[in-house]
Amino acid sequence: MQVAPIPDNEAERLAALRALLILDTPPEQRFDKIVQFAATEFDVPVVVITLLDAERQWFKASVGTTVCETARDVSLCSHAILRPEVMLVPDTLQDPRFADNPLVTGDMNLRFYAGAPLTMPSGLRLGTLCLIDHRPRTLDAMELGILSTLRDLVVMELGEAGASNV
Amino acid sequence: MSSNTHILLVEPEALLRRTVSMTARSLGISQVHEAASTDMALRMARQRRFQGAVIAVDCVGSGSGRRYDLSLIDQLRADETADGRAMPIAILADQATPELLAELRERRISRVILKPFRAKVLLETIANFGASKN
Repeated sequence: MQVAPIPDNEAERLAALRALLILDTPPEQRFDKIVQFAATEFDVPVVVITLLDAERQWFKASVGTTVCETARDVSLCSHAILRPEVMLVPDTLQDPRFADNPLVTGDMNLRFYAGAPLTMPSGLRLGTLCLIDHRPRTLDAMELGILSTLRDLVVMELGEAGASNV
Repeated sequence: MSSNTHILLVEPEALLRRTVSMTARSLGISQVHEAASTDMALRMARQRRFQGAVIAVDCVGSGSGRRYDLSLIDQLRADETADGRAMPIAILADQATPELLAELRERRISRVILKPFRAKVLLETIANFGASKN
């Protein structure tokens, strides 16, 4: 298993994340609606809005899992935030970065992953909106466009959360 | 359809509406104009011309007088220009009853989309409006 490198801007990224005052807050309908919509739209069993904290990924909203956080070193989202585009992993068992990841080999049975980085207007990527399936699959160009739009809507909501905490 | 065509989308669910309009713009499919209600759509149709429309139809009335509200479609078709008479229109509906389908045929509706509505299906419908016209 490959652990994702820490981004060069990690200190700035964590400061921006914590300034949102959103970590460990209760569920909110505006985020829940987006993950529920995505689960139906893409017909996937698990959808999560993750925020990458220093040692963990914390779930602001989720469908299909009762887990509310995982360790960062096993997180696929920690790889996804390294680049601006959607990270698509059609079959985790065929990807040497993830084939022996406990989220893949364990109860989560994570076989398909698509993570859209939550890129704030500052350019800092704080987490992802990610789709997970228990079978291999992929997304076409239109589906990638829809996922990117839903990601943009999450970012807008995060921006409003940040503005209300200033 | 191309990014300089204008499509009217009438749908009460804001998240679906926004997802379709923002994705259509980002993928260069069309400029989708959002209306949350028939009343809003009627106002918009008076102010600009559209090259296609996707319209959620709801029932109005009660008991035996209950029927689908097709007034917006009638308004769009009443436009005497070629665009108005031939504009491709798709309908979003809970179910397709024989009565509804008969009314839609009279109004030259090109597509009926049944629940659950997916953004991808709406976007493909909009993208195909141009193909069906050519």
